[in-house]
Amino acid sequence: MTMPFSLPLTTLANAVPPVRVLPNNADGFQEIFFRTNGQTDSAVWTDGLFMLTFWFSTFFFVLLMGLLVYWCIIYRRRPGVPQKISPSHNTPLEILWTVVPSSGMLVIFFLGFQGYMDKLVPASGALQLEVTGFKWDWKVSYPDGTQTGQTVTLGGRNDIKVHALPEDTEVSLRLLSNDVIHAFWIPDFRMKMDVFPNRYTGYGFRTPVLGPEDDHPEGRYRDHWVFCAEYCGDLHSEMAAVLRVMPRADYEQWLKDQGSSGDPVIDGKRVYSSMCATCHTVNGAKNIGPSWMNLYGSTREFEDGTSQIADDNYIRESILNPNAKIVKGFQPQMTSYQGVINDTDIANVIAYMKSISEHVEQPAEGEGEGEAPASETDAEGEG
Amino acid sequence: MTTAETTHDHHDEGSYLTPKYGVMGTIWDWMTTVDHKKIGVMYLFAVLFMFFLGGVAALAVRLELLEPVRVAADGTITGQLFGPANPESIATGNNIFNRLFTLHGAIMVFMFIIPSVPAALGNFFLPLMLGAKDVAFPRLNLFSWYIYVVGSLFGVFSIILGGVDTGWTFYTPYSTTTDADHWRVLLMVLAAFVLGFSSILTGLNFIVTTHKLRAPGMGWFDMPLFIWAIYATSIIQVLATPVIGITLLLLIFERLFKVGIFDPALGGDPVLYQHFFWFYSHPVVYVMILPGMGIISEILSVHARKHIFGYRAIAFSSLGIAAVSFIVWGHHMFTAMGELASTIFSALTFLVAIPTAIKMFNWIATLYKGSIAINTPMLYALSFLFLFSIGGLTGLPLGALATDLHLHDSYFVVAHFHYTMMGGTVIAFLGGIHHWWPKMFGRMYNERAGMIGCVLVFIGFNLTFMTQFFLGTQGMPRRYASYIDEFQTLHVLSTYGSWILLAGFLVHLFNFIHSLVAGPKAPPNPWGGLTLEWETESPPIEHNFHHEVLVQHGPYDFDTVVPPHCDEREFPLPETPASH
Ligand code: HEM
Ligand SMILES: [Cu+2]
Ligand SMILES: [Cu+2]
Repeated sequence: MTMPFSLPLTTLANAVPPVRVLPNNADGFQEIFFRTNGQTDSAVWTDGLFMLTFWFSTFFFVLLMGLLVYWCIIYRRRPGVPQKISPSHNTPLEILWTVVPSSGMLVIFFLGFQGYMDKLVPASGALQLEVTGFKWDWKVSYPDGTQTGQTVTLGGRNDIKVHALPEDTEVSLRLLSNDVIHAFWIPDFRMKMDVFPNRYTGYGFRTPVLGPEDDHPEGRYRDHWVFCAEYCGDLHSEMAAVLRVMPRADYEQWLKDQGSSGDPVIDGKRVYSSMCATCHTVNGAKNIGPSWMNLYGSTREFEDGTSQIADDNYIRESILNPNAKIVKGFQPQMTSYQGVINDTDIANVIAYMKSISEHVEQPAEGEGEGEAPASETDAEGEG
Repeated sequence: MTTAETTHDHHDEGSYLTPKYGVMGTIWDWMTTVDHKKIGVMYLFAVLFMFFLGGVAALAVRLELLEPVRVAADGTITGQLFGPANPESIATGNNIFNRLFTLHGAIMVFMFIIPSVPAALGNFFLPLMLGAKDVAFPRLNLFSWYIYVVGSLFGVFSIILGGVDTGWTFYTPYSTTTDADHWRVLLMVLAAFVLGFSSILTGLNFIVTTHKLRAPGMGWFDMPLFIWAIYATSIIQVLATPVIGITLLLLIFERLFKVGIFDPALGGDPVLYQHFFWFYSHPVVYVMILPGMGIISEILSVHARKHIFGYRAIAFSSLGIAAVSFIVWGHHMFTAMGELASTIFSALTFLVAIPTAIKMFNWIATLYKGSIAINTPMLYALSFLFLFSIGGLTGLPLGALATDLHLHDSYFVVAHFHYTMMGGTVIAFLGGIHHWWPKMFGRMYNERAGMIGCVLVFIGFNLTFMTQFFLGTQGMPRRYASYIDEFQTLHVLSTYGSWILLAGFLVHLFNFIHSLVAGPKAPPNPWGGLTLEWETESPPIEHNFHHEVLVQHGPYDFDTVVPPHCDEREFPLPETPASH
């Protein structure tokens, strides 16, 4: 991302003075366009540029449309009345209307570039989050390895995942996809980047400072939506999450709450809701993938006519090389979680599955982690 | 103007529409015709049919977005229009939605808007306006039409087999992996590939025609601006379309043989695909808009009876746009590229805005001191100026990097490109159809109904798409089957707008049918135009002109020339003749 020539410009962009960003102080046209003002310094700056462009455009639009309407009225055709003689070109006028808008556009270009550098270049010492996009959710890992699985109901939707951030902190996102292209858009921060399977992308921002306006019954926080902005298939429109900015102390407590509980079943359930719940239910209903209820220890019938008992190794293979065996009635829709999920979490997921299945007394060959059978070679293209 | 008496008169020669054989014979005559007018009319009906298909899909998409899709705690699904009655998951319904917007986009872009103005109106009027008997390669012209039909059939066949859910952009690796067990994606990509050939051949034909078949006395700067626009368009078509052809072919190879060019799982690079794709698809947005701009130049000057203001500026800006359009493709990928590339492409993008702005000023200045008739073509031209200005100006925040990172792939983009493609090209196309309708079919349409249709389209359009600018700035991503509660009001308004649009189109449809069946006969030159197509009969005779055409005045000399076939009392000349 960083290029040598960006260095002097970084200083320029950082010259923007820090502002205390309120949850909403937008009014007039800015409120009509955005509802609320941008929630980071650089987002506030972007709004400024947007509104500048808006007024620049409005000036020319009103001028042109005013002339259009006025002339259509006074020069409307009257039977038998000819048009008046008028020049068919006018060089000074044409130069004027080329140069003036062009200079305006030059300014807009330059400001756009300046705000761009400000958004891209993360401050040093920023809190680094690893964001993995996969069909159809975001996995956010904190520097200590914590991942989130907490969900809330928001905007009319259940199961919106919450990722906490400390207030007034520089944050840097490192983005990677596990399958197709996604895009990580935080509308309140006026920023997005595409998320690719074969390269890191990313951006940085400074979280807002909270105040009494942000007090809720459950504590002080401010929520910011995240949407996937690059089309990625069936549940593209469901690939939403919330960044919850909170005071640092609350944030640290929250991180602690997300850590291992010591109980594999509880930890496995957390993995389930953070990574698997988009496609698998635990109540027996069919979704994009089979339900996990009573899955463990049951006999699985596959599309190719074979069958197998769902033991530890089968579960592990289904996570790491999901298209090796496709259960009857399903599509090869799941992508490999190789590199996304670690061995501890696989074990936790298996424990959780056992806890919601009746056939757990089925023989399991040890805990199964030693002789990982998953082969990453074949069937990859089927995805 | 014109005309030197030549050897003999063909006054008994019938119009090109007069059937010469029985029913079957007439059908065969049309299917094998090399007459550019008949081919133009066949294109017109073909693209309007595609517009209808794409429009139905658009209305379905809007209908689904009337209500957000919700899954209650007990698993019941509300707000989902498509899919099985009691779906296990919302994925099934969303998948249908995704196929609908892909179908809409792919049809509108590849099968409707790219061929619309050039292939339909261009075919009919380019030779007429040049004073020629036909295009340079009439058989090739018919061949292009058949390629178009074959390509469209591939597309329709793919839809019948279930359609594709890739989006019209076919971004990899989604497009190389989705529907892996079926070949309808291949079929759709193949359709776009085949349609490209039709586009290339038509472009080639028009370039040669413009160079070689101008009537004696018509220099380059005596050409109507519509010809300039079609000429610039043809250059882009010939130069850019092969790139998409190769890209789509590579995509097909990637799916079939897993060669690993675009799919990272095979070692390819998805951004490479985006570069290839937009290297064609940006220039092609000017294939869509330039012919529309040409129509507007004609309508404004004829119906305001004014010399077009800044003829050369408009002609050269068409060529300028064509040239610059090849070096701005990266503005579709600011969220996917590095800093240096993004900065360069952002700067170049503002460069392409300048010739467009110049045209806008010239058109408005053309109205000054005119004799402005308010009729359907003029209302459409004025709507164009209004809507296309908005489309162009909203391109500024998309070209500026800081704002684009927010607006990219949001509804703001959807609104922006509908204001340019639909508010620009489709509105100009409709204006052009009304303007040239009497010439093409020899019948007048009902002016009042035409104006009512235009007003409905204008209102419906703005309601449908103005709301989408606000949706975009507020955070609504595009290609979403559902949304959070906050967005519903604007979505509902937008959907209502699409119904008003539909009403406007239906008014036009009935007006056209009524005109064909019972419209009064059109005079040769109902609007008092000075370009050559108004010299001949309405509809034109089979060989276009009775006499060999000799050009003696410019296309916009309204101040000095009484239009052919026109009454001087109806189209009086100004008192003091212009001196220029
Ligand atoms: C009848 C009026 C129209 C309506 C109501 C309409 C509506 C829509 C809607 C709702 C979308 C989907 C936006 C999304 O979910 O991302 C869309 C996409 C699109 N429309 Fe239209 N549209 C209309 C006419 C047109 C016309 C005339 C054209 C071009 C000539 C056009 C070109 C497109 C394209 C290229 C897309 C992008 C498809 C994609 O995202 O893959 N539309 N339109
Ligand atoms: Cu997505
Ligand atoms: Cu472009």
